[in-house]
Amino acid sequence: MANKFISLKNLKFLLYDVHNVAQFTENYDYYKMHDLESFDFMLEAALQIAEKELYPFYQDMDRNHVPEVVDGKTNTHPQIAKFLKAYTESGWMSSHVPEKYGGMQLPGLVNLCAEMIFYAANNGACLFPGLTSGAARLIMAFGSDKLKKEYMEKMISGEWMGTMCLTEAGAGSSLSDMVTSAEETSEGVYKIEGQKIFISGGDNDFSENIVHLLLARIKGAPAGTKGISLFVVPKFRKNEAGELVDNDVIPAGAYHKMGQKAIPAMHLAFGDNNNCEGYLVGEANKGLKYMFKMMNGARIEVGVLGSAISSAAYYASLQYAKERTQGRDVNNKNPEEPQVPIIEHADVQRMLLLQKSITEGAMSLVLEAGRAHDLSHVLEGEEKKRASLFLDLLTPLVKVYPSEEGIRSVSNGLQIFGGYGYTEDFPLEQMARDMRITTLYEGTTGIQSMDLLGRKILMENGAAAKILFEKVTETIELANTHDELKKYAAILGNEMQELQGITMHLAGFAMKGELKRFLADANLFMEYFCIITVAWQWLKQGTIAKQKLLTANPSPEDVTFYESKIHTMKFFFHYEVPRGAGLKTRLMDTEMLTMCKDTAILT
Amino acid sequence: MKLLVCVSKTPDTTTKISFTENDTNFNTQGVQFIMNPYDEWYALVRALELKEKLGSGTVTIINVGPADNDTVIRKGLAIGADDAVRIDANPTSSHFVAKQIAEYAKAQSYDIVFLGKETIDYNGAEVGSVMAEMLDAPFISFATHLEVNGNTATINREVEGGTEVLEVDTPFLISAAKGMAEQRIPNMRGIMMAKRKPLNVVPAVDSSDLVSVTKYELPSGKTDCKYVDPENMEELVSLLHNEAKVI
Repeated sequence: MANKFISLKNLKFLLYDVHNVAQFTENYDYYKMHDLESFDFMLEAALQIAEKELYPFYQDMDRNHVPEVVDGKTNTHPQIAKFLKAYTESGWMSSHVPEKYGGMQLPGLVNLCAEMIFYAANNGACLFPGLTSGAARLIMAFGSDKLKKEYMEKMISGEWMGTMCLTEAGAGSSLSDMVTSAEETSEGVYKIEGQKIFISGGDNDFSENIVHLLLARIKGAPAGTKGISLFVVPKFRKNEAGELVDNDVIPAGAYHKMGQKAIPAMHLAFGDNNNCEGYLVGEANKGLKYMFKMMNGARIEVGVLGSAISSAAYYASLQYAKERTQGRDVNNKNPEEPQVPIIEHADVQRMLLLQKSITEGAMSLVLEAGRAHDLSHVLEGEEKKRASLFLDLLTPLVKVYPSEEGIRSVSNGLQIFGGYGYTEDFPLEQMARDMRITTLYEGTTGIQSMDLLGRKILMENGAAAKILFEKVTETIELANTHDELKKYAAILGNEMQELQGITMHLAGFAMKGELKRFLADANLFMEYFCIITVAWQWLKQGTIAKQKLLTANPSPEDVTFYESKIHTMKFFFHYEVPRGAGLKTRLMDTEMLTMCKDTAILT
Repeated sequence: MKLLVCVSKTPDTTTKISFTENDTNFNTQGVQFIMNPYDEWYALVRALELKEKLGSGTVTIINVGPADNDTVIRKGLAIGADDAVRIDANPTSSHFVAKQIAEYAKAQSYDIVFLGKETIDYNGAEVGSVMAEMLDAPFISFATHLEVNGNTATINREVEGGTEVLEVDTPFLISAAKGMAEQRIPNMRGIMMAKRKPLNVVPAVDSSDLVSVTKYELPSGKTDCKYVDPENMEELVSLLHNEAKVI
């Protein structure tokens, strides 16, 4: 295993300098209890937990103690429980929860940085607390006081785990087709019957209870998404004496997955014995709307996950490239001369810079969304709406860029190892497998792309896209104060104009009612949109690095760090932004080859 | 039981070291500082464990240094110390530091004064013994285990090939080595509470340095690895004898 999986220095640069978390602690009462020194301690503590409780077990969790259902219980790696104890005791399970519920009221920005540390160390194990805190937040937002008392408190204390149960065998991306049923037996209490699949963390052998946040259709409810309700369905429910008794939630089996083997993906059967109780969350038939609060959070989490795995892969590849000697400089053919570390080869540098530019660009994009989230939490009125709209726009980008490009990043990292990368002797093969899920769960890239083009770009007459353009313009103006950056500011300005043109071109199909044509290449539109948005993040980073070099009297180590930022920004503009040209060509193309009525063409 | 833990600020272990003023001073520009690990992981944590076991008492941390040492001190408070004292002076030598802490500790009647076995920057391991002389109290160095029963402590020291077990009555000074305790990671509540715990800044007393540094030198860099054909033992022996001078 490599020595390093994440850079705390980079996280602090993004948190403090690029995304200005001090803005929250200085200006908003909700966050004034915190300061930057405390954030330093917290992130260092997170790194210590990650180094001690997660990273050393990353490979073992992939190869040993892979979850299986044995005697009705799903076994997990014994270290998971130890990690969760340390995680909970350190306060991370409740870090985002308001103080009134016993939480730390931490800005989401800081929380996201800590999650990047944890996920980079061991992404599969960290899904347990990630899902639990997401489910607890859902109860906090929409559940009754009784549900909060009985379930949420146990979850944020780490005693009980949580999941979200959406997918069914016949209803994956199409939630409107789900059939799990709920029948009211007394006020707020329902008999649940149905099966859910691919439930991450759906069962375990270490927590006293598991609280499933489950979507089901109340008997007689309208068809489609308008008839879906949300329920709390515990693995064990309390009887009248207050004792935990079986609630007829059966772990039918654990899927044998490609990666993320630390956490089981379960097939769960609810109510096979006609004895499964669920408790309605909020109002009936509003379940999907509620669930999307958790789902949107989960989509941001996937962005964190993708960035984090990409980070771990980058540092592993970087270390290997410095240590591994192979070949000589192309101008030196003398076999008597010692071989050089492969980092000296141009193509290896290209792959490393690609990894770095994707990883740190993705991290910055995730934190941009975190900033919008925090602003939407503390602002009021029109400003709050503006922050929320911007977060809505960023969410599918955060879901897609770190996952799709993360796969590319890890793949290039694996390439640096040569044949060794394909073996279990090095961690890249595991990272490649772990990363692969990120484009699939919490809404595939296809779903996200249709969400971006079909919904987010057009909503409120393009208000969210307008906010993005305004913010990019601000960055361009700032970059233009530095001669070295003017060229890149101009490139980004041109690309933004191109993006607006393409968006108008595609929106024209929507206005004509040609919805299938409008969305046919949504995936490619997403890819282009992501490149431009991450180019913006790189220009922001490059501009701040430039300012630091000019004004902060940096140490030699800091000079290297800031110069590396500017160099990587240039790499992104020279190697990644030009990829947009091909995408633009396709998006403006009139030839449609993916809308064949006769699918026999795909013989 | 009143417990005092002496903590130092040291460069992070990954820091690249350089010197200024004709190689007589450590260059602190851009250096990331941490609490000396022996102070934090073993001395402070064992003091906290003792207090927790006894169910009463106080743990105070003390540092000699300027105001920018407060970050390191806050970390000690976040880990669990009740309060802190910073003696406002630049720590110029072991003797100077020992003098400052001894003068403060004299008036406070601590039962046990803890230190790490050494700091990871200058590796002096001197402050404890000098301070013990000034306080006229016993000093047990390089301790790996400590139990306290009433006013008597039983202490293990690792010695060549075995363990030495000692008994000593309070008050005494002890320097902690690996094995004394297990590192504690500060939790969020501790971090938040640390901001509200007292950090008292007191002026330094007069003291003179008895020793001055004339020069620091970095170790010579690693030389390139030489590969020798496994069949050529003669060359290997010659290199080990003539170049490496190890045989």
